[in-house]
Amino acid sequence: MEFIKIITRKTLFLAIFLLFSFMTPGVDAADKENCLMCHKYRQIGRIDEKGRKRSYFVSENIYANTVHRNVPCRDCHTYIEKLPHDPVTQEVNCANECHIKPPFSNENFSHKKIIDVYNRSVHGPKEDDSPELKAAKPYCKYCHLNPIYTRVDEQQIAFEQTLSRCLNCHERKGVTQAYKHITHRLRAKTSRTPQEIVQLCAKNCHADLVLMKKLKVSRESMEAVKTYNESIHGKAVGLGSQTAADCVSCHATSSIHDIYKKDEPHATVHKSNLVKTCKQCHENVTERFAQIDVHSEIGPHEKPFLYTVNVALGFVFYGSVFSLIGLAMLESYGRRKDGIKMQIIHGTSWRGESKQKKSN
Amino acid sequence: MSTSTENIAANPKETGADEYYTFVEGVGNIPRDIYKLVKSDPLGDLPRYSIHIVVQHFMTFVTFLILAATGLTLHFASLWWAPLVMKLFGGPDTARFIHRIAAALMVMASVYHLITIIGGTLQKIMTKKFDINRTQIPLLKDAHDIVHDIKYFLGKEEQRPKMYKFMYKQKLHYVAILWGTFVLVAAGTSLLFPETMATIWPNPRFGQDLARLMHADEAIMAITVVVFWHWSNVHLVPGRFPLQWSFLTGKITREHQIEEHFLEYVHNLNEIPEEREYMKKILRENGYDTI
Repeated sequence: MEFIKIITRKTLFLAIFLLFSFMTPGVDAADKENCLMCHKYRQIGRIDEKGRKRSYFVSENIYANTVHRNVPCRDCHTYIEKLPHDPVTQEVNCANECHIKPPFSNENFSHKKIIDVYNRSVHGPKEDDSPELKAAKPYCKYCHLNPIYTRVDEQQIAFEQTLSRCLNCHERKGVTQAYKHITHRLRAKTSRTPQEIVQLCAKNCHADLVLMKKLKVSRESMEAVKTYNESIHGKAVGLGSQTAADCVSCHATSSIHDIYKKDEPHATVHKSNLVKTCKQCHENVTERFAQIDVHSEIGPHEKPFLYTVNVALGFVFYGSVFSLIGLAMLESYGRRKDGIKMQIIHGTSWRGESKQKKSN
Repeated sequence: MSTSTENIAANPKETGADEYYTFVEGVGNIPRDIYKLVKSDPLGDLPRYSIHIVVQHFMTFVTFLILAATGLTLHFASLWWAPLVMKLFGGPDTARFIHRIAAALMVMASVYHLITIIGGTLQKIMTKKFDINRTQIPLLKDAHDIVHDIKYFLGKEEQRPKMYKFMYKQKLHYVAILWGTFVLVAAGTSLLFPETMATIWPNPRFGQDLARLMHADEAIMAITVVVFWHWSNVHLVPGRFPLQWSFLTGKITREHQIEEHFLEYVHNLNEIPEEREYMKKILRENGYDTI
């Protein structure tokens, strides 16, 4: 009897242990419609018309750690209406509303607002765009290139101290998330480094002069990357500064996506807004300060006087350096001929025989 | 030019600018190439710089190297070595700070120099010891000296010109430093305080562009001249190798003084009795007449 008792108890423990070990925290909340029933299989996929292997596998663990972890699949993949679903031909629209409610608000969450801002900006698609321009304009995923939308890992502002005050009234789980969500955006204008921003704007796009020429941009825009890299902002950022201005520091407000051409009145780089824009970093900014050229190019056509000064200084530079070096060499030649040696030894360096003609 | 020969001797027939012998009261006729026969201490025999000048040179030289290292790295930010050097200084934000501290010290050294030079000159004028020939002020004689010296280097003149305390090379360098420091400090101030300078420049856009241009161009010119010319003159040229100790001791070697600053040596002879005795001894040893 005793033996059977032990066996049953052990079996019970084992059963409970096995039961717990199969219960994993995860996407349950987001996957109400059980899409993972199929998509959890690693091998799920097909070879498409172009012969490329496509994987449709969704890793539960990775998804549970992304920023979209609480969003049900069909909130973004809205075109799926039946199961099994038809082959997917559409891209996800980031402006969709999803059925999750942010804290302190009753409306469904959506990226629509920022997309509206973006669409009004110079990068948004416009009706009169040429086909080349349409193809070249960036879309959400062009800049938001973290491919699986994992969270940005970074320091939070005064995390421990401030959060402990929140916890006096709020529950830990909710308020921690809300707090991180807000302070993550307080630290700087973006969570990207200035180097990443410059690379994002320049590489494959604004630094691609063939593309820029095709899009018929202005001369200033053609030279923008070059002149920025030659400016003090660009050089400091290029060498790793975290405080010097990058592209969006000046070309966008804190909503980042509102970049406009400089002749549009709501552009941060429009004449009337320059003082405000410079003031983000510089103190005592005046109208006169704002006249200073940030993307300065000293070329023969843009600034003929300064260009002439620069060329003249170049001549003075090479002229003086080479004539002085020439003088030093001639001097050494003449003095050595007259009998000087390299070093003072035994109290004199004039130990040699003079080969100069002397009358006395 | 008459002023250049006035102070040499009472009788220009005996001791003209190009004469082989120079008569010095209490010593005798000194041949121009006596520097080949004297003995010199590499650390220096004759006074040349006061302690103030030595300190000023030291401050300028240390800050100059720091300014050049940080400034060049920022200027040539796109070159492969720039990020490596920048790391040594702790990143561009720290490097900018170091550059400013060094600049402030260099400005202090410059002000210190101006005070000593102006004060010293005023004192000399008051005690009637001021002699324009012994200053850094460029004179027409210097142009003649360059021509004369180049002829000597080419073997077309037998002796080097007789020059004062500062020869044409030093005057050229000094004027370049005065101008360069003025430009670099003015342009650097404009880059450091753009907000204030925007209210001062008649056209801030032009002024700031000019400041950027001048600061970089002038700095590179100064660095190149110092590295390739100044260092050659004080380290590599025969007789100065491996280094001229004047920058620490404030003294110049006897052979250098007689060779390149003959008229300053005459001044030394008048001031220092021991040097008169030494010169007489050397003259006698080599079979020249003395007094």
